[in-house]
This record gives sequence, C-alpha cells and structure tokens, in this order.
Amino acid sequence: MIQIDNLTFRYKKEEHLFSFPNVQLNEGENLLIHGKSGIGKTTLLHLLAGLLKPESGKVIINGISIHSISNSKLDTFRGQNIGLVFQKKHAITSLNVLDNLKTRLFLSKKAINTTAIHTLLEQLHISNCKKSKINTLSEGQLQRLGIAMAVIHNPKIILADEPTSSLDDENCKTVIQLLIEQAKLTNANLIVITHDNRIKSFFSNTITL
Amino acid sequence: MNIWKISLKNIKSKPLYTFLSVFILALSIALLLGIKQIEASFKYQMQNNLGNIDLVIGAKGSPLQLVLSSVLHMDNPTGNIVYEDAKKISKSPFVKSAIPISIGDNYKNYKIVGTTPEFATLYEAKINKGRSVEKSMEVVLGATVAKQLQLKIGDTFLSSHGLVENTIEVHSEELTVVGIYAQTNKVIDRLIITNLESIWEVHEHTEDEEEVENHLKEEHEHHEEHEEHEHDEEHEHDEHKQITSLLVSFRNPSAFLTLPRKINDATNMQAALPKYELDKLYQYTGVGFKTISWIGYLILVISSITIFISLYKMVKERAFDLALLRTYGASNLQLITMIAYEGFLIVVFAFFLAFLLLKTGLFFLFKVIETEYKQNMLHQLPMQDFIEIAVVVVVMIILSILLAIYPIIKLNISTILSNEK
Repeated sequence: MIQIDNLTFRYKKEEHLFSFPNVQLNEGENLLIHGKSGIGKTTLLHLLAGLLKPESGKVIINGISIHSISNSKLDTFRGQNIGLVFQKKHAITSLNVLDNLKTRLFLSKKAINTTAIHTLLEQLHISNCKKSKINTLSEGQLQRLGIAMAVIHNPKIILADEPTSSLDDENCKTVIQLLIEQAKLTNANLIVITHDNRIKSFFSNTITL
Repeated sequence: MNIWKISLKNIKSKPLYTFLSVFILALSIALLLGIKQIEASFKYQMQNNLGNIDLVIGAKGSPLQLVLSSVLHMDNPTGNIVYEDAKKISKSPFVKSAIPISIGDNYKNYKIVGTTPEFATLYEAKINKGRSVEKSMEVVLGATVAKQLQLKIGDTFLSSHGLVENTIEVHSEELTVVGIYAQTNKVIDRLIITNLESIWEVHEHTEDEEEVENHLKEEHEHHEEHEEHEHDEEHEHDEHKQITSLLVSFRNPSAFLTLPRKINDATNMQAALPKYELDKLYQYTGVGFKTISWIGYLILVISSITIFISLYKMVKERAFDLALLRTYGASNLQLITMIAYEGFLIVVFAFFLAFLLLKTGLFFLFKVIETEYKQNMLHQLPMQDFIEIAVVVVVMIILSILLAIYPIIKLNISTILSNEK
C-alpha cells in the first residue's frame, strides 16, 4: 500500500517548488504518471524511492513513512521493498546477467535462489543469456534484464522511469506487458512514469502532472 | 555473491586497466626495493670484508687506496714496506694480531695473496677440499675463484705480474692448487692464497734476472765496484724482504688513538683505519644512493597518483553502476569496501609482480657484478628495509584509495540516475 501525502520538493538554490497530487494505491493497484518533460516526473519517482528528501509531506509505504527513518535503514528498506526500472541503464556493466541478479539479491539481504532466478529469466525470455556480458545484450534484452533486476527480490513497489521510451512499438508492448505481469506475480504496486502515449491504454489508473 | 566477489569481478572485467595499474606500481616498488638491496649489499660487502682488521699498515700514500687494496682487494697497493719494520710494530703491546700480506700477482685477474695461515681466520674461512698451504708454491683457492676458473686440487698454473691478467710478465714458477676454501661471501672467496715465501721466491727470480741484465750493461763500466756491491746485496737479502701491508687487530680500543699516529709520525710507513676510510668513502657514494632512492620515491609518488587517478576515474565512470548498487540496497560503506578491495587487490598483485621483477632483475645484475667485478653480493634484503618500503607503499596507496573513495561519499544518486539519458 502506498500513500503520497501533500508532497512538495525544491531543488537546492532553486526557486521553483514542485508540489505533487495526493495518491493512495491499495495492494496490487497500478498507476501511470503521465506528463511532459521537466514537469517533475523523475523527481516524484526519486521521492517515492527515497532517493530525494521532500521539503514537506510524506510518502508512506506499507505503513512506514520512508523519509523519517535513518539513511542506513532507508538503504535497507529500498533494497528490500523497491524495484527500480530505468530507461537505459539496467545492470552493473562489469558483471554478467546471472551475477547481476545474484548481486541484487545479496544487496537486498535476500537468499540467493538460483532456481527462482532461472524461472524469472525464462518468463522474460532471456534465459539463454545468463552468462552474457551486459554490453553484448540488445536493447530489448537489456530492458527485460532491467525488469528482472527490479522484481527478483519480490519488492512491494516497482517504480519504472520511462521504461519504454527508447523501444520500438513491438518491444514497447512486450515490456509493459511483462512489467504488469511481474507486478501481478509478486503482488506489487507498479508505478510507471512516462511521456510515452503508447502505454496509456494498459493502465486504468492514470494521473497527469 | 558478496562484496569481495563483486570487487574481484570488477577487476577482472577491466584486464588492461588492472594490468597497467599493477605494472606501474610494481615497477616503482621493484625499483625502490632494488636500490635498497644494492645499497644494503654494498654496505654489507664493505663491513663484512673488514673482518677484524682495525688497522692497515702499508707504504705511504693514500690511506683510502691502502684500505681498498689491502682490505677490499679492489685497488693497486700503495707500494711495499720492509717486513722487518712491520714485524717491529707487531711486537707492540697494543697489537693482538698482525698478519702480513704481499700482493702484486694475479692469475686470470684473481689476486694472489702471500700471507700467513692466520689470514684465513680473519674471514672465518675453512678449508672445504684439500689442505692448507704447507710449503712454497702451493696455493689455496677462494670458493669463487675455484668455481669461476674451474680449478681442482692438483692443478697448476703460472701467475702473471701485476693485478691485471697479461701475457707479457708471466712468472716462470708453477703454482699448485692444494686446497679450496668453503664459501664465506667475503673477500677471501675471490683470492688465491699462498705463503709469503712463494711471492718472494717468484719475485727474487725476476729481480735476479733483471739484475743480471743490468749487471751485463754496467759490467764493463763499473767492473771493480761491482763485486763489492753484490756481496752486500746477498747479505741484506733477508732483512730487506718486503711485504705490501700488515693487517692489525688491536688488543684494546685505546690503541686507535695512539698507534696510528705513532706509525705515521715516526716511521716511513702509513697506518690507515679501514672503518674510518670506508665510512668516508661511503659518505661520498651514499649521496648517489640517496639520489637514486629519492628518484625511486618520486616514481612511487607518481605511480600512487596514477593509481589514484585511475581509481578516481573508475569511480566517476562507474558512477551510474555505483548509483544502481545503491538502489539495490547497498550502503555507502559497502561501496567504499568494494573500491578499497579493488585497490587492495591491485597492491597485492603489484607486490607480487614487483618481487618477481626484482628477483629476476637482481639475479642478472648480481651475476654480472659477481663475474665482472669478482664481488659477492648479498642476495637477501634486510627485513627492516623491506618493511620500511612496504609501509611507505601501503600508506601512499591507502591515501590514494581514500581520495578516490571521496566522491562515493558525495554521490548524489538522484542526480546521477536523472542524467542517464
């Protein structure tokens, strides 16, 4: 369950104050946040992930006000409960696919279950590149790996920042379907921010900033 | 999966970068250790060769030359002294032992030293094969001489006059090898030892021949004076036996103050203190070693800066990876540990490589020194020097790793992640 409560944010030494609408998502509910570039979409996502501190207001995830806990607790909380999907960077370049997923589990202090990793890679159709280096993967494979990295540890929320912007129509559709599917499988809330109109139809719950 | 494994994989994913960092650091460590090793070997060589020699008495001239020629066997002697005069000094109550030596011949560039049996005790040299010299024209070889010239017991050879091998002045008397000393790593290893009489005999013959020639020339001019002169010469022969120098060890330290001055003032011989002369020499050459050492340290600083730059660059280049790791739940401390492990791995590899480089480098260098200059080198680096350098290297590296880690602490994950596009 996620609750956004009177959230405002101001970048250091800047006049402009971002203020965000109140949101409440129940278990299993997804949300698409739509808006033009520069409107504060990524800022909101980072506030939700605890990567930025708000000027005022609260983000409550599963009953925990994430900005009122200590930094080290927030690191652990983020590692265990949040999965982030980015537009282009999806994994650590010096590690191969399998090692990336293992590292992800290790850092979120979860048991490393190789079978679970294999099952997930199968679901995402990238089980054939387990041993591949990151820089040898195609755009579509990378985005799928990005999803795998965001869901392998069974997070409470999946936050996706423009996950489809650099993909063609076909891959765009596949990726967004996979994201929704994985969120459903892990019973997580999926929040996608985008300016990509192609994916609007996949969400019943949409806010425009 | 753990932090250590991630570091290891990071290092493995950039083999060229890792190799270059390791190589540069290894070179400077090897250079520093090498300089220290050579310096230590040089010092050891000098101090070791002093044995128990407190004082050298020889012909007037440069005291350093006297020490170099009679103690280290590196230079030409200053001249000869009369054995009888030297014997008088050995009777002084200050003197514990006085060993006469006579040098001036060589065989294939290895010096032949005529002396008394006590000479070997100066260097604690023991006979390894055969026996010691019992009569004239017998020699015992130092370990290096025997090895390099491949001489065995029973072999004979002709010595040549002077300290450098030559075919012009070859003595006609054969010297026979009767023994070989065990290796001592001291100067005696590269000497050929015989008794004083052997040297005298060889040279008497030569002198006699020369005299005969002179006589023939002079004969018709000073015919009448000549017979008288020859009588005198034979009579004085024993008393005028000459040696190169006398190696003296004192009974008590007060002799250092009185005896050398007495000899220098009252006789036509000079007394030189080897320790003092070598300290002087070492002060001159020490400047060179210091300069090279400083260059070594400079290289170390440069390689530390290189490592700092590459770690720093790596942190900057990997900013996104590091930010991603943070979103995966990694704490700052875990990232710092990861980078520190990487630096640590580079240092460990560098030390290992430095050791290999040093050992092979010095092996060849010392081989050259040992064959060309007939010097025994100390192959083991004193632990203290090694630790000293290791501490300096580790401090430099820790410093550069800390500096490289600083941007991680300052890492703004949000900014880095927003800039991905």
